[in-house]
Amino acid sequence: MTRNVIIFVEHKAGHTRKVTFELATEARALADQIGGRALAVALGNGASTVAQALGKYPLDEIHISEDPDVDRFLLDPTVDYLEAVARSAGPSIVLVGNTMMGRDVAGRIAARLQAGLTSDVTGIRVEGARVECIAPKLGGNTITTCAFKEAPYGVVTIRPNAFAAASLETGAQVVQIAKPAGKSYALTIEAEVEEASDEMGLEEAPVVIAGGRGLGGPEPFDTLLKPLAQALGGTVGASRAAADAGWVPYSLQIGQTGKVVSPQLYLCAGISGAIQHKVGMQTAGTIVAINKDGSVPIGEFADLLVVGDAFKILPELTQLVQESKAAHA
Amino acid sequence: MKIVVTVKLVPDTNAVKRIDPATKRLVRTGVETVINPFDEYAIEAALALKEKLGGDTTVTIFTMAAESGKEVVRKALAMGADDAVMLSDAGLEGSDVWASAYAMAQALKKIGFDLIICGALAEDGNTGGLPNALSEYLGVPALTNARHIEISDAKVKAQRETDSGYQVVTGALPMLMTVTMAVGEPRYASLKGIMGAKRKTTAVMALSELGLEKAVGTGGAKTEVVEIAARPARGKARVEEAADGPAGAKIIFDFLKERKLL
Ligand SMILES: Cc1cc2nc3c(=O)[nH]c(=O)nc-3n(C[C@H](O)[C@H](O)[C@H](O)COP(=O)(O)OP(=O)(O)OC[C@H]3O[C@@H](n4cnc5c(N)ncnc54)[C@H](O)[C@@H]3O)c2cc1C
Ligand SMILES: Cc1cc2nc3c(=O)[nH]c(=O)nc-3n(C[C@H](O)[C@H](O)[C@H](O)COP(=O)(O)OP(=O)(O)OC[C@H]3O[C@@H](n4cnc5c(N)ncnc54)[C@H](O)[C@@H]3O)c2cc1C
Repeated sequence: MTRNVIIFVEHKAGHTRKVTFELATEARALADQIGGRALAVALGNGASTVAQALGKYPLDEIHISEDPDVDRFLLDPTVDYLEAVARSAGPSIVLVGNTMMGRDVAGRIAARLQAGLTSDVTGIRVEGARVECIAPKLGGNTITTCAFKEAPYGVVTIRPNAFAAASLETGAQVVQIAKPAGKSYALTIEAEVEEASDEMGLEEAPVVIAGGRGLGGPEPFDTLLKPLAQALGGTVGASRAAADAGWVPYSLQIGQTGKVVSPQLYLCAGISGAIQHKVGMQTAGTIVAINKDGSVPIGEFADLLVVGDAFKILPELTQLVQESKAAHA
Repeated sequence: MKIVVTVKLVPDTNAVKRIDPATKRLVRTGVETVINPFDEYAIEAALALKEKLGGDTTVTIFTMAAESGKEVVRKALAMGADDAVMLSDAGLEGSDVWASAYAMAQALKKIGFDLIICGALAEDGNTGGLPNALSEYLGVPALTNARHIEISDAKVKAQRETDSGYQVVTGALPMLMTVTMAVGEPRYASLKGIMGAKRKTTAVMALSELGLEKAVGTGGAKTEVVEIAARPARGKARVEEAADGPAGAKIIFDFLKERKLL
């Protein structure tokens, strides 16, 4: 059966999330294998800006709507528009980023399209007519391969940072989506409040510099971690102890009850490496820990554990990295 | 107002988890089972609402799990919920999100509700898809990742956490919500709660009572696990003592270069 691949674009007022480019690249590869087209759906304020950015990726069509209802009402219009594109495209695999927003969209559209859902996927392969999804499960200790049974649609949430994004301009056509008729929207978004800068999503950052209880307060996150993160092109994360203490917002928490990250480099200071933290970061490429105690659990699964005082090491490290970057610039 | 909290019974975080190579399903017997951590927050949110709203507000725990999980459900009752319903049936084994949500939706229609509160993610399956699929099947709106929940006259106002902050969202009952940890630390069961839980009812519902139109269980699932493999565990770290700040920084700097991360 010929099937198309549809990606759901996550963006904020036209600023596209990085995972979207990974989805676009994978959509092309998958579409070529199953003999269909690669389509994108971008909705709400800024969708046409998004279409421009996505134009650099090998998609066939970019379906957009800048209907203000998308940003005025929670999720319902988004799911309706996505459904409309999926129905008109016919049998398809829908790819969505495995993010807070993406999980909501994926669960809804899967039920709407009577589709199976595979989640947190890090690899996709095609076996005969079947699409199989590879995903780390159970805190990253198990790798499962899950196939869609015969059905018109399948929905996949993709782990950020797992697929490469490769731009290739193929001249995608931009298509306006007609507003689905006869819909009512139940939840109104009255206000949007920013608490943390959203320059780089935690799950999408290639480098995460995380801090824990050992940092003793909120200031070191700004004065010690942030400069190092900036020097390495990454972002700041935290353990639950730091989030519970109110030093950082919960949106920065990594672990079982926080975010799951797989950056190339995970560097943490003042984090002991409890199992609930481990399951949120153990699939990182390289793990470096700074801890004043050499017998902490993180030593069991990090690549390098430097035993010393984070307050003394971090500023020096930031300086070394900055100097090295400047020398190569 | 009738609040129903969906609670998943999951293997304890510290338990060694195993997938049966024959059925390709998580082995749930012989491992300590607990309330899914996020669902404790859902219970907390429901009990806090009950306290705030008073009157005829009730909290019902709903789980789709084997009957052997009754003891775990009792812990939720000990926290202060009024009663519980378990959807337990061998025919549900092998259900995926799609089939689980479909079966649960039919059960919830039967139980009745004004507000359903779910956790945001289950520790084992971890798709986060179930509550959203449930809202589709029930035809009720889904206010996800909610905190600071206010309800009066069937009108709901809550903050919905996003990656960079929150949205203020309003709507009306009936609805479904998922909650975040910001609703407050789950309370411990008091001795009185533990004693009282023994007298509370846990009804068991079977599939035959639901009059399902679609297949559930392994046959009804839209996905199928074809392969499972253990992920090789990470090895122990190279441990280096840092004499002082500059020495520690140099060790890490050289290591990053060696790994081509700089
Ligand atoms: C249901 C449940 C869910 C949970 N979910 C999560 C989760 O999602 N994420 C999470 O992170 N945790 C989670 N936890 C909590 C987890 O069990 C740990 O309590 C938590 O990860 C500890 O955080 P920490 O490592 O920052 O603090 P600690 O364990 O207190 O470690 C602090 C470390 O800092 C070191 N230190 C102190 N001073 C310095 C210094 N100057 N320089 C260098 N090192 C120093 C200490 O040696 C120590 O190792 C959860 C727990 C439960 C029960
Ligand atoms: C290792 C593993 C991998 C899996 N992978 C997939 C997959 O890729 N695709 C798929 O379709 N299914 C998968 N499943 C099956 C899936 O876990 C179940 O169908 C489950 O009922 C719903 O999904 P979830 O665990 O992801 O829940 P989530 O959507 O993560 O759970 C969110 C909330 O929904 C509620 N909830 C979930 N399940 C129940 C329940 N049984 N009873 C009461 N409340 C509940 C809880 O409030 C929970 O906090 C997997 C299961 C396991 C053990």
